[in-house]
Amino acid sequence: MDVESSVPGAVSPFVNRIMAPGDVVLDLTKASNVLRLGSGLRQDGDNIAMTKVGRLQFKKPNKYWVEGSQKRYIPNTEDVVLGIVVDRRFEMFVVDIGGPTYASLPMLAFEGATRRNTPNLQVGAALYARVVKAHRDIDPELCCTDASGKAAGFGPLNGGYILECSTGLARVLLSKPTSPVLEALGKSLSFEIAVGMNGRVWVNAATTATTILVSNAILNSEFLTAAQQHIMVQKLLQKSQ
Amino acid sequence: MAMGAMRMSINEKQFIEAALRENQRIDGRTPFDFRRLVIKFSKDDSAEVQLGQTRVLAVVSAQLVQPYPDRPNEGTLAIFTEFSPMADPGFEPGRPGEMAVELGRIIDRGLRESKAVDTESLCVLAGRSVWAIRLDIHILDNGGNLIDAANLAALAALLSFRRPECTLGGPDGQDIIVHPPEVREPLALSIHHLPIAVTFAFLGDGDLLVLDPSLKEELVMGGRLTITVNIHGEVCGVQKGGGVGVSASELMRCLRLASTKAAVLTETLKKVVEVHETERAQRKIRRHHNFTALSHAGAIVDSGVTEREVEMDDAIENTTVTESKEDTVMLGTVKVLEEGEIRHEDGASNFKQNAEDDEQERVEVHKDEKPIVALLTEQNIEAMEEEGSRGDLGNLISVTAETLSGAAADPSQVTEAVPIDTPLNLLAAVKKKVKNRKKGAVVKD
Repeated sequence: MDVESSVPGAVSPFVNRIMAPGDVVLDLTKASNVLRLGSGLRQDGDNIAMTKVGRLQFKKPNKYWVEGSQKRYIPNTEDVVLGIVVDRRFEMFVVDIGGPTYASLPMLAFEGATRRNTPNLQVGAALYARVVKAHRDIDPELCCTDASGKAAGFGPLNGGYILECSTGLARVLLSKPTSPVLEALGKSLSFEIAVGMNGRVWVNAATTATTILVSNAILNSEFLTAAQQHIMVQKLLQKSQ
Repeated sequence: MAMGAMRMSINEKQFIEAALRENQRIDGRTPFDFRRLVIKFSKDDSAEVQLGQTRVLAVVSAQLVQPYPDRPNEGTLAIFTEFSPMADPGFEPGRPGEMAVELGRIIDRGLRESKAVDTESLCVLAGRSVWAIRLDIHILDNGGNLIDAANLAALAALLSFRRPECTLGGPDGQDIIVHPPEVREPLALSIHHLPIAVTFAFLGDGDLLVLDPSLKEELVMGGRLTITVNIHGEVCGVQKGGGVGVSASELMRCLRLASTKAAVLTETLKKVVEVHETERAQRKIRRHHNFTALSHAGAIVDSGVTEREVEMDDAIENTTVTESKEDTVMLGTVKVLEEGEIRHEDGASNFKQNAEDDEQERVEVHKDEKPIVALLTEQNIEAMEEEGSRGDLGNLISVTAETLSGAAADPSQVTEAVPIDTPLNLLAAVKKKVKNRKKGAVVKD
């Protein structure tokens, strides 16, 4: 939901505070420049209102968004998501990204795809994609390339296991610096991981035991401090040996 | 575009089966482990069961109604299930789905057809008035194996339910007097035995067997088998779903496993209910505001002070807590516990002692009325986080996954571990049920 309002803007007094849906966080008549709104915010006449619970975030010069933690995902543009192919249609795949509706993925939205050379994905295939269109009234649209048309890690995922977590945990796993649990795991194990903002995490390792260990460590880490996460990972590793 | 049931990727399917062939499960369990079980009671005696991610709430209520004409001296037991769309996006609001009906039927069959709840004791006046017991089961979160969780919640709620006592009075002795709980101690239902549902899932080509399937395993499974069995090894119901066939020997193995698990679960359930009973008895002690204030300050209250602060009921001298019909007040030395610390075990045992000892009544008053089980849980979660493993959560609580799994981890030990009926009897019991189903008496609706 990218609402651009060419109205003046001052910084909202509610930045970094936890707000509830319906709370008006900004009065556009007092603002002075263009605003960019991320997920969880909506323009309501002259006001910017919250649409979900979470912490209001602001990034200079004009970006506002809300960070919360949910079980159900609401698509938002530029989110990276993990999808599962549900159906194959003429020129597009129908993909479940855990949102309120299925998303569509054009067959040409892959690197190097042409009308003659389309990717062959089966129903049930897992893929890592980027949301390019998200609007509450239409189905979201995905893309398996970055903005410059390169694959950049997007595309089908082979093997591994997909675990489900809250959107909050997914954001923590994606954020920088690397989350303590991934850092602790990465020191002693080798595994591949792909985190979707929709609360799906793909984990792949050489052995099933490692995959299970990594996925359990990630799920356990949600409400632990950095130090606790390190201890938890150490204990898990000791046990598995 | 409309959303259907939850989707699952090929990757996950393959992984779950591959891991299971190595005797591993995605949540760190082995094939015959139960997940962490937590049973909580709220003050209105509704029971909430958590089985891993799964959460089920069961509430029992009762109403005086006219009995059915063909059974004038029997009360009724009705089971209602509610699948909230909050629990799973696949659940539709409004009409009950296929799973909701099946779940209700399995629990209903376990309880009713094995005559677990004594309906005759629910009769107040034959032909005129009986108690209609209503059991509402709400699915709060679907993390797989709803049947076992719902069945446990139902049993816990039934065990903790109290109905008001009724007597006949009036000029002709035909008027029904319902005594409010303040006047007469409410009565428990009479429950003869506890039918415990134990669910197995068959994965792969039916060659992989797991106990207590999680949501993802349920999405992969080819078949499901629910065995309702009580602590005596009596089979109260069997429900088989899905296309995978089960051989007779496999079925017998499941029956043995189920009966082991049922024994452990029954013990757990009884223990939790007992703790809840103690809590409830303790709640009856009236507390004065000064007490709370003092206890927050962490002071030790002198017994002399106490006597002045507490209202005293006349009945106190002759009643113990267990026998009390009147709303009793226990008093004496009040030992205030440290801030944040609640010594439930000591409290409970002290309390029992007190009940026996009429002359010197000493009660530990807890300033916090949080249910004990909930406390245990939270402590356990913390401890678990130290421990760091999901699968090991259980061994910290009296409700242990370890004990649940330990006995049955090795199927060969099972026969020795459980005093169950001879296989012949079990087989006979199963056969009968299967016959019934063919006739249409036990239908998968």
